[in-house]
Amino acid sequence: MNSAIEIMMILLVLSDMALLGLSRLRTCISIVSFQGMLLGVLALTMQLSAITPRLILIAAASFIIKGFIFPFLLRRGIREAGAQYEIEPFVGYIMSVIAGLAMLGISFWLGAKLPLFAANTLLIPAALTTLFTGLFLIIARKNALNQCLGYIIMENGIYTFGIVSVAEIPLLVELGILLDVFVAVFVMGIAIYHINREFDHLDSDRLNILKG
Amino acid sequence: MPIASIINICLGLLLAPLLLGIINKTKAFFAGRTGQPLFQAYLDIIKQLRKGVVYSQTTSLIFRAGPVIGLASVLIALAIVPLGGVAAPLAFSGDLLIFAYILGLMRFFTVLAALDTGSSFEGMGASREVLFSALAEPALLIGLAAIARETHAMSLSQMLPAVSFLSPEVVLVTVALLIVYLCENARIPFDDPNTHLELTMIHEVMVLDHSGPDFAFILYGSALKLWVLGLVIIGIVFPASSGSFWFISVISAIGGLFFLAVIVGIIESTMARLRLIRIPQLLVAAGSLSLFAFILVLR
Amino acid sequence: MDYEIILWLAITIPAISGLICLLMPSPKAALGVMCAAVFLASLSGIFAICEVLPQGRVLFAAAGWLFMDALSAYNLFVMITVFCLSSVYACIYFKEEIIHKHLNVKQIRLFTCLWCEALAAMTVVLLSNNLGIMWVGIEATTLITAFLICVHVSRESLEAMWKYILICSVGVAFAFMGTLLVAASAKSAGLSAHNLLLWTTLRTNAVHLDPVLIKAAFIFLLVGYGTKAGLAPMHSWLPDAHSQAPAPVSAIFSGFMLNAALYCIMRYVPIIEISTGNTSWGLDLVAGFGIFSIIIAAAFILFQTDLKRLLAYHSIEHLGIIALGLGLGGLGTFAALFHTFNHSLCKTLSFFAAGRLGQIFGSQDMEKMSGSLRISPVWGIGIFCSILALIGIAPFALFMSEFQLLRAAVDKGAIIALILFLLGAGIVFVGALGHAIPLVWNDPQKPTARVKTNAVEFTLVFAPLAVLLLLGLWMPETLAQALNTAADVIRQTGGTTILMPGGKQ
Repeated sequence: MNSAIEIMMILLVLSDMALLGLSRLRTCISIVSFQGMLLGVLALTMQLSAITPRLILIAAASFIIKGFIFPFLLRRGIREAGAQYEIEPFVGYIMSVIAGLAMLGISFWLGAKLPLFAANTLLIPAALTTLFTGLFLIIARKNALNQCLGYIIMENGIYTFGIVSVAEIPLLVELGILLDVFVAVFVMGIAIYHINREFDHLDSDRLNILKG
Repeated sequence: MPIASIINICLGLLLAPLLLGIINKTKAFFAGRTGQPLFQAYLDIIKQLRKGVVYSQTTSLIFRAGPVIGLASVLIALAIVPLGGVAAPLAFSGDLLIFAYILGLMRFFTVLAALDTGSSFEGMGASREVLFSALAEPALLIGLAAIARETHAMSLSQMLPAVSFLSPEVVLVTVALLIVYLCENARIPFDDPNTHLELTMIHEVMVLDHSGPDFAFILYGSALKLWVLGLVIIGIVFPASSGSFWFISVISAIGGLFFLAVIVGIIESTMARLRLIRIPQLLVAAGSLSLFAFILVLR
Repeated sequence: MDYEIILWLAITIPAISGLICLLMPSPKAALGVMCAAVFLASLSGIFAICEVLPQGRVLFAAAGWLFMDALSAYNLFVMITVFCLSSVYACIYFKEEIIHKHLNVKQIRLFTCLWCEALAAMTVVLLSNNLGIMWVGIEATTLITAFLICVHVSRESLEAMWKYILICSVGVAFAFMGTLLVAASAKSAGLSAHNLLLWTTLRTNAVHLDPVLIKAAFIFLLVGYGTKAGLAPMHSWLPDAHSQAPAPVSAIFSGFMLNAALYCIMRYVPIIEISTGNTSWGLDLVAGFGIFSIIIAAAFILFQTDLKRLLAYHSIEHLGIIALGLGLGGLGTFAALFHTFNHSLCKTLSFFAAGRLGQIFGSQDMEKMSGSLRISPVWGIGIFCSILALIGIAPFALFMSEFQLLRAAVDKGAIIALILFLLGAGIVFVGALGHAIPLVWNDPQKPTARVKTNAVEFTLVFAPLAVLLLLGLWMPETLAQALNTAADVIRQTGGTTILMPGGKQ
């Protein structure tokens, strides 16, 4: 049980590092999809002794939305925009991985500081690392698709944190949250579509008409 | 058990070139060729030993010292690494650092010798070698540090038998060390040992000017390096404690080494050489795996 | 209980009529349905407010998940004011747009639908007792209003929308992290799953919450909701979004959406204060963000050329002032709440005027808009007086609330805050007046015909001005009392009795 969770958390952190170090958008989307499925399974594994219909519903919803629907939306974005790579990110890929390691260290430090009860000492740091990774991608990448990806990763981190530290949020709240995130990605997808049509690129660094 | 450890060293000295043969046989198998004989590496070394040496007039003493010091270093490394749970003859607390840096010393003198020739090609190879090893070294050292921390031991001979079998940290370190293994021994995807285009070579280009016994030393040294680094990986993956049947664990460890050689052969057959610009990325990935393992052990 | 239905109505009326708007055949019908929905929802809101504010009662609905105490009633009142005015204005504004064929039926339908849904989402924020649902409401307002920014699809509006949606979504995600941390500390304090995120239970059990977790939570919450409220340094989306959105949308952004986010912070303040042992750790943080916002906004106001951007920076400044008041506590809380209403009313008016003048001149560049008073006396007076009020000229209510805030700062001995606030306000005074005088009094750049205004527009300008003037000179006793009860919800020393609905707990 515990070792299964531990392996999942290690996979989560490794997928974060891979997302920081890889440049192909399609690969990144596949990794995010893998993360989403992992979290769906994690939600079930955490409470293996007391599986309720509510839990199954939440896990299945996040498994499907994060594992299949988000990647589908993003892949469509790639097809429309024809963007395969991030051309010149603000922070290079090697530096991103090194930053990721620093974030991992900080997460472990923070995880030790917060007086949270968690079944495994790796849970909180892995959640925080995922959160920071998403934030870092949003800041360090210019491509709008990549930023959207960063948002999903950040949300994954928060979701992990939620199942780890709270786990008992009422169903309605949890569904509302999932719906919000889903709509957020959907709206971003529409925005990306319009931006690509209007500007012929997805480089958010070049969205600089409005200043001051 | 001092006799056992001496036998282990002798086994290493005898069997190391065989690893090259196994790798080449595997590659040949995948390519559908018959390939070189299994003992080709022995024959090459013997042939080179019989030949005379040619020294360029521009070279100095360093050029002659390079291969000798390189072989000497790797022999010391051989005496540090345990085999099959038997403590190595040179085991002491902290020997893992000596192990890492004695290999560094070998590389340092190979590089110096290459630079000493004054050839621009060899200088280029030397600079690449230094760059890659600078990135591979942290991965190796941090990985070993993680293992040391996990087993609370500072000597390879105590560390390796005490490693817990296939815990997540160990898997991470193993993957990192495998990458380092390929890089340090100049195998695909880092370097192609069979290439004959100087522009793309890394390790081979540095030893172009060596000939005769000097070149034999280099060949034998690199075979031994393949052996000792492989022993570390095998020691981590299959931790074997020495019992009264030490020779069984020794034989299984050697079997593991041969298996590792087969894996390297498979990797070489299925992958292409990476573009030079990608190599640092892979090494950084190895380093981050090691560091992640280290953090996991620390917590 | 009748009030339970009323709280439900306030949420469901706009939510459903938003969908009806999508089916309307003509722009006129869609706008009509929108206005009707807003007024009906307001009516039910007012009905509940009248019950809560004077008596200090707390209404519950949906098994304690929805509730209305003095603080939410007061904020609901502000929101209703802003939305009613803006809806009327939206009709005028879009009539002009439709005449000039800037918008088609489809866009109007979408706009009216989103407008109603935005109202529903903000009502959810104000009425929800569950902090998780409150978060859902805030995130929903972000997503719904994102499309309102680019009703006119253009490069600028797309850029503004992208920045808005990305920055706010990320910011609000931080707030969610904070919410989770609060829930985690509630869980370790032994609250049951149902009560985990209920504000009322958290408030009564705040003493038992783990201070370290709560502090971490509050930092996340402050950064998260602060992003949505436009507090510096997380404000960068705000000027872009406000300047690109159609004027009625800018009006609800500035007039209420920012306040809704600040309202969330207000909800957390008493919990944080009690759990950290009344050390005013959280209050100081809020005040710090407030002062920083004032200073940053003051610096940027000096160099603006675009009228709506100027007003957007004013919003940052005033939200900073409200946050500062909140952070000072005591009388400051009172002043902050008073200022909320004044600023919302005044900013709504100024965006109305800016939008209308922008339509007349076909630009938002202040140089091109100079001489507004000659072209359109009503809207010219509107923009000038509202800017005067915004910079805190004496008889207007904003002056009064800022003055009370100064008194609160002096009472508390917060000299540095006082000096920085005065410095910021001084810079804003000079800067904004420098922009406003040429804008209104100069000669028009090119001769334009005088624009006629009808009675509705006249009322839209002078009614808010009259209210602001009146409140500046005389504060009704009922309002003062209502403000005090609302402020008592935030000041943890206040004696609000928190009752759970009968039978529950």
